[in-house]
Parts: sequence; C-alpha cells; structure tokens
Amino acid sequence: MKAAALSLGTVVLPLALLAQGLDPTLLAKPPVDAWPTHHGDYSGRRFSTLKEINAANVKNLTLAWIYRLNPSSGGAVIAGEGPESPPAGANPNAFGGLSIKSTPLLVNGVLYFTAPDHVWAVDARTGRELWHFFWRTKGGIHIGNRGVGMYGDWLYFLTPDNYFVSLEAATGKERWHKEIASVKREYFSTAAPVIVRNHVILGVGGDSLDVPGYLESRDPETGEVQWRWYTTPRAGEPAAETWPDEYSSAHGGGMPWLPGTYDPDLKLYYFGTGNPNPVLAGQSRGGDNLWTCSIVAVNVDTGKMAWYYQATPHDTHDWDAAQVPILIDGVVDGKPRKLIAQANRNGYFFLLDRTNGKHLLTAPMVGSLNWNKGINAKGQPTWDPAKDASVSGTLVWPTTDGVTNWPPPSFSPDTGLFYVGTHEAASVFYLTDTDPRPQGWGAAERRVGTFASSLKAIDYKTGKVRWSRPLATTAGGAAGGPMGLLSTAGGLLFGNDGAGNFVAYDAATGKPLWRAGLGTNTSNGPQTFLLDGKQYVVVGAGDSLFAFTLPQ
Amino acid sequence: MPIARSTCATILLLAALSLGAQRLPAPAAPPPAPPERPAPPVRQTERPEEPQFDEAAVQRGRELMVARCGFCHGSNARGGSSGPDLTRSAMVQEDENGKQLGEFLRVGRPEKNMPKFELTEQELTDLATFLHATIHSIGNRGTYQILDIVTGDPKAGAAFFTGAGRCSSCHSAEGDLKGVGARYEPAVLQGRVLLPREPPRWGPAGRGSPPWADRNAVKATVTLSSGESFTGALVRLTDFDVTIYDPATQQSRSWLRRDDVPKVVLMDPLQAHVDLLRKWTDPDMHNVTAYLVTLK
Repeated sequence: MKAAALSLGTVVLPLALLAQGLDPTLLAKPPVDAWPTHHGDYSGRRFSTLKEINAANVKNLTLAWIYRLNPSSGGAVIAGEGPESPPAGANPNAFGGLSIKSTPLLVNGVLYFTAPDHVWAVDARTGRELWHFFWRTKGGIHIGNRGVGMYGDWLYFLTPDNYFVSLEAATGKERWHKEIASVKREYFSTAAPVIVRNHVILGVGGDSLDVPGYLESRDPETGEVQWRWYTTPRAGEPAAETWPDEYSSAHGGGMPWLPGTYDPDLKLYYFGTGNPNPVLAGQSRGGDNLWTCSIVAVNVDTGKMAWYYQATPHDTHDWDAAQVPILIDGVVDGKPRKLIAQANRNGYFFLLDRTNGKHLLTAPMVGSLNWNKGINAKGQPTWDPAKDASVSGTLVWPTTDGVTNWPPPSFSPDTGLFYVGTHEAASVFYLTDTDPRPQGWGAAERRVGTFASSLKAIDYKTGKVRWSRPLATTAGGAAGGPMGLLSTAGGLLFGNDGAGNFVAYDAATGKPLWRAGLGTNTSNGPQTFLLDGKQYVVVGAGDSLFAFTLPQ
Repeated sequence: MPIARSTCATILLLAALSLGAQRLPAPAAPPPAPPERPAPPVRQTERPEEPQFDEAAVQRGRELMVARCGFCHGSNARGGSSGPDLTRSAMVQEDENGKQLGEFLRVGRPEKNMPKFELTEQELTDLATFLHATIHSIGNRGTYQILDIVTGDPKAGAAFFTGAGRCSSCHSAEGDLKGVGARYEPAVLQGRVLLPREPPRWGPAGRGSPPWADRNAVKATVTLSSGESFTGALVRLTDFDVTIYDPATQQSRSWLRRDDVPKVVLMDPLQAHVDLLRKWTDPDMHNVTAYLVTLK
C-alpha cells in the first residue's frame, strides 16, 4: 500500500484496490464523496461544500435507515488482551450504556465507527452491518471513543486499555496491536487517530493519577513510535520554570485526548493539551504549568513544538484546552491570514495566527464566568487563587464540564461564523486533600445546576456572538449544551436542541428549519457525503446511527 | 410556615412583574409543601463496580509502611527526606498483588541506598494491599471525603440571611428552616442554600423520581391561540413542543409548537435562588451555612 500511496495522483490504480482503500489525496480536500478523517478534512471546520440538501428543501429531509449498535461478541471478530468477561469498572453501563461519540468515516460507500472496545463497518446505502470488531478489554474508563483513522486498506483505533489497534478495513480482522500506555496507571484512550502521510497521530488520556501526558506519531505499517512529545517540560527544557520542579512537571498531566487539525503547507499538527495534575488542588504546582491547557503546534515529521498558546495558565478547574482548534483561512484588517480558532472549555473564544501562535483575540462566550482576575496582555484569563477549591467550598462558574467540551464545533466560510454549543452551570469545589503534595484530583465537586444552554454563532473576526439560540428547558433547568455540529454550503447547520431533536438550523440566523425527534440527544459530530449522486447526513444518538436523505 | 410561603409568593410576584413578560405571577395559592427530606448523597457514577480491598490487610499494611518504609518514604507514602513517592511510583502502580514489589524489595536499590527488605508473604501482601488501596482512593474522586466545611461566622450569616441576602423574605429560622441544621450534612445544606433542587447532570439521565414531580420544579403556563391556558410543572420546552405535568392528576399533556405558538411562559419558584447564584461571595455562602448549621 505504501507504494500505491506514493504513486497516487500520477497512476490510475486498479479498481479493485480503490474499492476498499483510502485515496490519501482525499485527506487534503474538502469532503464530498468521502468523509475520510475524523473532522472530514484536516481543517477541523466540519463544513461541507455539498448543497443538494439546503435551506429551501431541508423540510423534506427523511430517514434513510437506522443502525442500532450490536455489541454482541457473537459473529464478531474478536481480539484483545483482556479476559472473556470484562473486569470490574469496564462496564459501559456506567456511562449510560454504549453511545456513539465517534464521527463515522465514509470511504467507498462504507461507514466505519466505534464505541469503546467496538468497531463497526456498515453499508452506507442500506445501514446493513458488514462486520463488527470486538475488543476484549483489560479495563480502563469506558467513557467514549471518537472513532477510527484510515490509511490505505487499514483502520486504526484506540481502546480504553490503551492499545493502538490496526484492522483490515475490508474484513475487520486485526493486523496488530501495540500498547501505548499503562491502564494500571489510569491512562485510558479515547482519541480518533489522525493520519498525516505516513504518520498516525494519537494522544493518551486519563487524569485520575498524576501521570504525564503525551502525543505520539506511529508508523502506519508497523505501529512503532516515530516520535513522542510530552505535554510538560523535562529539566532544562524551556517552560520548566513554570513548574516548581521536574518532579511536579513529570507528574503534571496535560492529556491531549482529542484529535487535532493539520495544515499541509506549514506541516504543523495542531491540538489542545489537557488540564494539569493534580487536577483541582494546585498547591504543589505553583506557576503557569506549561504546556497544559494549551493550543500547541508540532511539526508532524519531527514532533518538535513550533509554538504554543496557553488558554488557562495554572488551571485548577479541569478546563483542558483539548477542544478542536479549527483552521480558518480568513481576513483580518484587510489581509489574508492563516488563523486558528478555539471555543475553549474555560468559557473563552480564542483566535490566533496559526503560523506562529500570535494571539489575536480573546472573547468570553457567556456572561457568567467568575473564575479569573481578568485578561492579561497576552489575552489569557489570569488565575484567581480565591476561586481555587477550598475546604469550605468555592462557588465557580462554570463546572468542570466547562462552558463547552469535546463535541466538535463547526466553522462555515460562507457565513464566517464559528458555531458552538454552550452551557452555563455552577459547582462548589471542596478541597479534600490539604496535603502540601496533594494527589489525583485533590478536591470534590458538587454541582448546583445548569441555568442556560445555547447554540451560538460567533463572528471569528470579533469574537462577538452574532446569534444565540436557547436550547430546551426542563424541570431541572437548561438542557443540552455542548454538541457536535456540521455546517454546509446549503446554508444549514446540523445540531441538536438539547431535548432529543436532531435539528437543521439556518446557518445565517439560527432559525430551526427541520427536526427529527430521535428520543435522545445526538452524541457525536454529524457528517455528510455524496453517494450515488445523493447527499446523506449521518448522525449518532446514543446507541443508534441515523442516516437522512431527501426523498427519491 | 404558611405566612412565610405567601410572603414568598408575593416577593416572586413582584420579581416577576419587574422582569416583564417572560415570567408569570406565582400561583395565588401554592400547594402545601411536603416536609423536606434529605437529598440522597451525590454519587459519582463513573466507576460503580469498584475493587474491594481487605480492610484489615490495608490497616496492617499501613502500620508496616509507617514502621518500615515511612522513615524514607514519608508517613503517608508520598515521599520523604530520602525516598521517593510510593503512590506515584510506576513500579508500585503497575505491581500485581505484590509480585513486582516483592521482587524489587528482595534486591533493593543499593546504588541509591535503598536496602533490601526480607518480608514474609503475608507482610508483602499487606503492604501491597495498603499501597494499592491508597492509590485507588487517590484515583477515585467519587470517594473523596469532604472535610469540615463549617468555617464561616454564624452571626454574619444571620445578618446576611435577614439583610443583603433577603433569605428571610421567604424563609424563617423558626418556620420552614426549623431544625434544618440537623437534617442535612453541612455540604448538602450548603448546596441547598444555593439551590434546593437536584442538579441535572449533563450526559446520562439521572435516576429517581422525575424532576417535574419536585415541588420546586419550574412551572409553565401554555396559552393556546384560542386563549385557553394550562399551567403545570414543566417537563420540557423545545422549539417544537411543550409538555407540562399536573401533580394533582399525575397526568402530563403536550402540544406541538411552531413559531412560538402556543405561547409558553415559565415561572421558577426558585428564581430568587437562581438570581442570588450570580451574586454570592464565598464568605457570604460560608457564613449562611454556618448560621443554618446552628438551627438544630
């Protein structure tokens, strides 16, 4: 496949090869008849140029099929290092049952998607299952899995017990698996691998114990490490002075747990790092704690950091910066600029120059933030020690969930709007570990409630909220909030309403134009593609995948 | 208590009028409030099936650790004057029931002045059980114990209660809050000061009775284009539908909506709490909690 990958573009390949394999040139284009990588393309925009389904006809959108997750090991391709029955703690029911948090890839008419320990291949025309891969787990937190990456004829995914697994796309049979982190140290893996040429980029997760975070590039053929980048500095490295000592830095967390974005011209891979450890008790890690809670650019071939921007210096509320950093080719002050934007869990929208990380804009997304002492000269919200967890309790807006979270936002170049689901909630943070060297989380959180949730459209140039649509309200308060989004050239924005409706909004105004009551909120990023000349929109909601299209 | 509640309704009515069309006046005759019952403890549902540790072995292991290892590794195993942190040690974290730990201890690390230790099988098991139980408790935040949170000034809390906080507009120490300090753990009490309603969780639905059956549920009045209107506890309000629940008949009723028709107006019986949530200072919160704790 390597040879085939190299020759693509100059040689017409036999049809049999193309029938399964992924043409790597697709990765660099806007997605049309494929959705070949987690975000559809490398930009992270989750914008489709398709407009067969548009604001004028979306009212006719109708169900094509439903695929309900089949988690049974019967008939599945089985692999894995774990026992026949899953160990304690590895039960997906702990998280409300199996839920599709992965964005399906669509390649040559086949959808590939995941849940923790599972991969499925489904016929995109009919919703029929083609194969199911079942991983016998050793344990790890089974909270979610973002999906697969694809290279040629091969799929790649990560397991809660931290195996990097390669499957044959045609059959679901395992090619090999490699352990990337120790489940006994409470690492768990959820990311969708991102393939850039012959690099498979993946990050680890898990902040229960104070273990170091890292991003890796691995070889798609052998699975071996090409480079590893630690998210906190070691002695002598720049930024080491933002920790009291090497020991605290080496135990400082910073998990890069979500798939990132990539600029092929700059050869830079962009991603967000997680929160520092100990998570809520910061007394042993005085300083900014670089490079946690940062947007980072690394050279994809060398793994060397090109620049970083820290969104939350010395975080003490679990607000990682792992959210999708979206690449925007925009115009600022009349000049074309290579930009990168992020709606951060800490409640702020950031806009940077992606060539060098230079800060351009910081704007609050909601009005209820109470955790910082204002914005400094670099555009960073500054640490307010008074809002750290305390023994008697500290009331903080937002909660550890943040104003937004992992569900992927969207950017439409047609409207110039950055779309993101938000919620406003408060928690009381109680310091429980008063030791000068706390460990783990070090504090408990008691939620007060959620008081507002909305779908927002942010003007990327100013950070101003152009429109904000309140989501559903229930007896317990505002419902929903962070949600996977997809914008299209048809003038549409697909998302949910917080109460189980999958909704097509007018991307310019936020007006709902169409909805389907799925019974539960959409749980992944919606995606779209053209197949046999027909546009499909595919979305996961809990344990089912739904495909919509216009009537014949 | 009836007096306090009707005062509360009046205050809410005034608040509602001042906020304009979005809010309805409170119902003229609120239903009698059932006695408050302690909220179930908040439980993290992240990992319900937890490994069990033999408590006696943990205790023996703790004593052994303090006696044999504590001098170098600290009395809580988090590192000491000359020895590293044991609970963050990769070797300890990855140890299987004392196997790797035992192999290590039989040799020690002479180059770093770590002597070898000859432990019996039982001692080794106890030590490993203690270390693994400790690591597990660090890693499982659902089990963290909230400390003594009552550090505020009860007098200042009482002053806030009747003064700036305007709590006494609805509540009284001799009425609805009589004995409240004995009914709740302080952290639960503090949470209920902020909002006496169970918080919804983002993600999987919670268990227990539905939130619209809560006496403090948000109320909704649905007005049809005919002018007919219905009031009940809000179950859900979306752009496309509205559902309310009538506690008297235990029936729910729903209508489809389009372009804001039928009109729906919400009234939150806890609006005063919600408004205060944006204004609390942490000292005020601690003081009010300290005051309410005294109402035994």
